[in-house]
Amino acid sequence: MKHKLNHKLLQIRNLKKYYPVTAGFFSSHIGDIKAVDGVTFDISEGEIIGLVGESGCGKSTLGKTIPRLEEPTGGKILYRSKDITKLNKKGLRALRREIQLIFQDPDASLDPRMTVGDSIGEPLVIHNIGDEKERSHRVAELMKQVGLEAGQAGMYPHEFSGGQKQRIGIARALAMNPKLIIADEPVSALDVSIQAQILNLMMDIQEKFGLAYLFIAHDLSVIRHMAHRVAIMYLGKIVELADKKELFENPLHPYTEALLSAVPSFKHKDKDRILLRGDVPSPLNPPSGCHFHPRCRRVMPICSQVEPKLSEISVGHFVSCHLY
Amino acid sequence: MSNVILKVSELKTYFFTRRGVVKAVDGVEFELRHGECLCLVGESGCGKTVTALSILRLFDSPPGKIVDGQISFDSLNLTECSSKQLRQIRGKDIAIVFQEAQSALNPVLTIGDQITEQIKLHLPLDSNRTRDLAITLLSDMGIPSPEKVMSYYPHQLSGGMKQRVLIAMSLSCDPQILIADEPTTAVDVTIKAQILDIFRELKAKRQMSTIFITHDLAVVAEIGDRAVVMYGGKDVETAPVSEIISNPKHPYTIGLIDCLPDIAESGERLVSIPGTTPNPLDMPTGCTFHPRCPEVMKICSQKEPPETAISKEHKVSCHLYT
Amino acid sequence: MVETSGDIVKGVGRCMPNRTRLINYYWQRTRRNKLAVFGLAFIIFLIALAAIGPLFTLDPTEANFEETNMPPVRFTIEQSVYNIETDDFTTTKISGTWKHPLGTDSKGRDMLAMIVSGARVSLLVGLIATGIAIILGTIIGVVSAYLGGWVDNALMRFTDVMMTFPFFLLLVLIVFIFGPSLAFIVLAIGLTGWTGIARLIRSESLSLRTREFVVAAKALGASDNRVVFRHLIPNVISLIIIMATLSIPGVILAEAALSFIGLGDPTVPSWGIILESGQHTLETAWWVAVEPGIMLFLTVLAFNFLGDGLRDAFDPKSNV
Repeated sequence: MKHKLNHKLLQIRNLKKYYPVTAGFFSSHIGDIKAVDGVTFDISEGEIIGLVGESGCGKSTLGKTIPRLEEPTGGKILYRSKDITKLNKKGLRALRREIQLIFQDPDASLDPRMTVGDSIGEPLVIHNIGDEKERSHRVAELMKQVGLEAGQAGMYPHEFSGGQKQRIGIARALAMNPKLIIADEPVSALDVSIQAQILNLMMDIQEKFGLAYLFIAHDLSVIRHMAHRVAIMYLGKIVELADKKELFENPLHPYTEALLSAVPSFKHKDKDRILLRGDVPSPLNPPSGCHFHPRCRRVMPICSQVEPKLSEISVGHFVSCHLY
Repeated sequence: MSNVILKVSELKTYFFTRRGVVKAVDGVEFELRHGECLCLVGESGCGKTVTALSILRLFDSPPGKIVDGQISFDSLNLTECSSKQLRQIRGKDIAIVFQEAQSALNPVLTIGDQITEQIKLHLPLDSNRTRDLAITLLSDMGIPSPEKVMSYYPHQLSGGMKQRVLIAMSLSCDPQILIADEPTTAVDVTIKAQILDIFRELKAKRQMSTIFITHDLAVVAEIGDRAVVMYGGKDVETAPVSEIISNPKHPYTIGLIDCLPDIAESGERLVSIPGTTPNPLDMPTGCTFHPRCPEVMKICSQKEPPETAISKEHKVSCHLYT
Repeated sequence: MVETSGDIVKGVGRCMPNRTRLINYYWQRTRRNKLAVFGLAFIIFLIALAAIGPLFTLDPTEANFEETNMPPVRFTIEQSVYNIETDDFTTTKISGTWKHPLGTDSKGRDMLAMIVSGARVSLLVGLIATGIAIILGTIIGVVSAYLGGWVDNALMRFTDVMMTFPFFLLLVLIVFIFGPSLAFIVLAIGLTGWTGIARLIRSESLSLRTREFVVAAKALGASDNRVVFRHLIPNVISLIIIMATLSIPGVILAEAALSFIGLGDPTVPSWGIILESGQHTLETAWWVAVEPGIMLFLTVLAFNFLGDGLRDAFDPKSNV
C-alpha cells in the first residue's frame, strides 16, 4: 500500500461542531453538546487515516461535518487548499463529486424503493453526467468492479444480502471518481467472513484509483489492517495521532494504551490488561481540563485544570497529554 | 472427564413458517462441564442463539419446535419436561443474559424493582433480605453506589452498566449454569474488556459454568475453555480453545481464523471465505459448508459428514478426516 | 431476516422493468393474507356493480304504488292493508318476485336498483372525499416536516385546532348552512377529515429525513427538491395508500350517518338515505333497512381488511 505523501488533500484546522441544548418553555440555550471540539489533522492523497474511538466520541459527527452534511460550528476545512466551510451551493455540489461517503448500515443507506442500478447511477444523474446509455454502461462497469453482476441492476435492495448491499453502497460512492471516501464503520454490521471480503474490496479499489480514506471504526484490529495513520478520538478531541506502526507499538496517551490493551486478541492471550474504570462521560458536561483525567491511571494535578494541546512528540507522532 | 452438568444430544429445533421449514438447529451435540466456559462460535444464522433458547425453550412455540434430541440436566430431559418444571429451572438453575441490554430491561420499572422481582420468584426471603441481596449483587458486579442505583431507571444507566445489571440479575439465585448470548457484541471496546473481566471472575471465584455465545473468535480466545464452532445449524468442530487456535481442523474454522484482521500481516489481502451464509430455507445438500469450502470433494455434496474424533477432546465433522 | 440473508442472486435473466418488480413483490406479500384478498375481491365486485350495475337494473327512482313493500324473492310476509271498502284491515300474503329480487320500499321502488345506485354513490363519496382529505393532509404533512421551524409549528397548531372540532357537528353545521347537497357533503367530509393524515404523514416524513439513504442522497449532491420528490415522497406513498384505504370506510359511514339523521341529499339514493327511510318500517318491511345495512357492513369490512393487509405487506419488519 503505497501512498503519495506530497499532495495534501484535506486539511482540518480546529474544527468544531456543537449541538445547542435548549430547555424550558422559551427554549433557552443552556449549553452545548460538543460533539467535535477542536480537531486538527491532514489527509494526503491516497492516504488511509483510521479514526478510532468509542461511542459518543464524535467520530461519526466528524465524518459528517467534513463534507458539510452537518454545518461546522467553528474552525476551517481546506480541501485542496480551498476553504470549503465558506462554499456556496454550487461549490458544494462540485465538492460532492470529490468527497464521498460509505455508511455503516447497508440496509438503511439504500433507498428501498429504488432499484440498485438507479441508486448507483443517481450521482451521475444529479451531476448531469452522460446520457442514459452512457450512464447504464457506467453502472454496469461499477457493479463489475465491486464484484456484482451487471444483470442485477434492476433488482431492489431487499433482494440482496448485507455484504452485497455494502458493495452497492461502495459502487455508488465510486461513481463520481472521488478523491476522498469517508467510510463510517463500513464493516461493523457484517459477519466476519463477509467483513474480510469487503475490506479486501476496499483495499483493491484504493490501490487501483489512488483514493484517500477516512476510515472510521471502533474495531482496532480492522484499523490496524487497513490504515496508514491512526487517530484516536475521545469526547470530541483527538488525543493521539501517529503512523500505524508507531501507534500500535508505542502508544503514548493513557487512553490509547487502555484501548489497545482492551482489545481481545486471538493470538496473544493473557496479556496485562489495563482496565478503565467508569464510563465515558456525557459530552454535554465534559470534565474540566483534560477530558480523560477522571479515568486516567496516570493523572496529575494539572490534568484537571489545564487542557493539554496536541503536540508533536516525535516525527509524525502527536499526543495531547500533560505527561509529555 | 470432569463432571458434565449439561448434555445436549442431537438437538433439532425447526421453525415451521409459511415459507417453509427453517432448520435453525439441525443436530447439535455438546456437553458442558462444571466450572468451564464453553463458547458457541459462529456467524449470524448458524443457530447458536436458537440452541441457547432451546435449552430453556424460550422461543415462540408455534412456529418453533424441538423436533428431536435431548438436553440432559440434573436428571431431567429439558426437551420433554413440563412447562412447570422448566419455569422452576429458568432463572434459578439455569440463567440467561441477552445481548440487547436496552430491550431486556423494563423501561418503566426501577432497577431495584426488577432485581427484587427476580429474587422473589425463586427465593423465599423477606423484603429486607431481598433488598440487601440485590445491593450485594450490584456491588459484586462493580456497580458504584448500588443503593442509589436501586432507584434508578434503566435509561439513566450507560450501556455497560445495564449489561452489568443484567448479569447481576441473572446471578441472583446462584444458578448452576449461566448462558450469555453475545454480551460483548453491542458494546465499546473498553466496556467489552470490563464485561469479559466479570466473566473471568465468575469462573475463578464461583466456578460458574458458562455457555458463552459469540461470533468473535478473539473473545473465545480470551475467556473460553472449550469451543463449539457452528455452521448452518450444526456443530462442525469441538475442541479446547488452545487446540482451536493452534490446530484447527475444519475448513470453516480455518477460514474463520484466517479472515481475522488481527492475524494477517497488515497491508496484505485478508483471506476471506467466498460466498455467503446459506439460506436457512434452502440448505445445501450433504455438508452445509461445501459450496464455500476450499477443500470440497465430490462426496461433500452428497453425504453429511460424520463426526470424527481427532483426539479425545477434539472432534470434527468433515469428510477430510473420515 | 430470512428474505435477504443468503438469497442467492440468480443472474442475468432477472431484468424486468422497474416498477413491476416492486409492485409484484408487494402484491405477493398481500396475497398471503386471506382477509385482505377477500376485501379486495369485494371491492372489485362493488366497483363493477357501481360501474355497470345500473345498466341492468330498473330505475331506482321510479315509484310504483302497485308494488309497495314487497319482500325479497323467496320471502313471504303477511301484510295488513286497510281496505277502504270494508273499513277493516285485510291480511294478505305477499311473496317476493324475481322482478324485484330484493323487494321494494314503501314507495314501490326496486331495492336492487337502489342498492346498486347506492353503491355508486358510496364509492364516489368515499373516493372523492378521501381524495380531498389525502391531498390536503399530505401537502400539509410534507410541507410541515420539510420546512420545519415556525411553519411546522403554525401548521401543526392549526391541525390541532381542527382536530378538536367535533367533526360531526361541523358536518351538520355545514349541511345546515349550505343545504343538503351531495357535493357539499363530500366537500365537507374531505375538508374535515385530513387532520389525522397530516399528522401521520408529517411524522413519517420526519423520520425519513434522518434515515441514512436520505443523508446518502444529500452526500451525493442531491438538491432539496430531488430529495423530497425522488426519495421522501415515494417512501411515503405506501403510507398514503394505506391511509386512503383505511379512511374510505369512515367517509362512507359519515355520509350514511348524515343521511340517517336526515341531513343527507334526498335526491340521491345512497345507502344512508335508504337506511333512513327503512328505519320506520323495521317490523313490516325489514329488508329496506337491513339490505343497505349489510352492504355498508361488508364494504367497511372489506376496506379495513385490505388496508390492514396492505399495511402488513408494506412493513419490512412484519413477517408476511
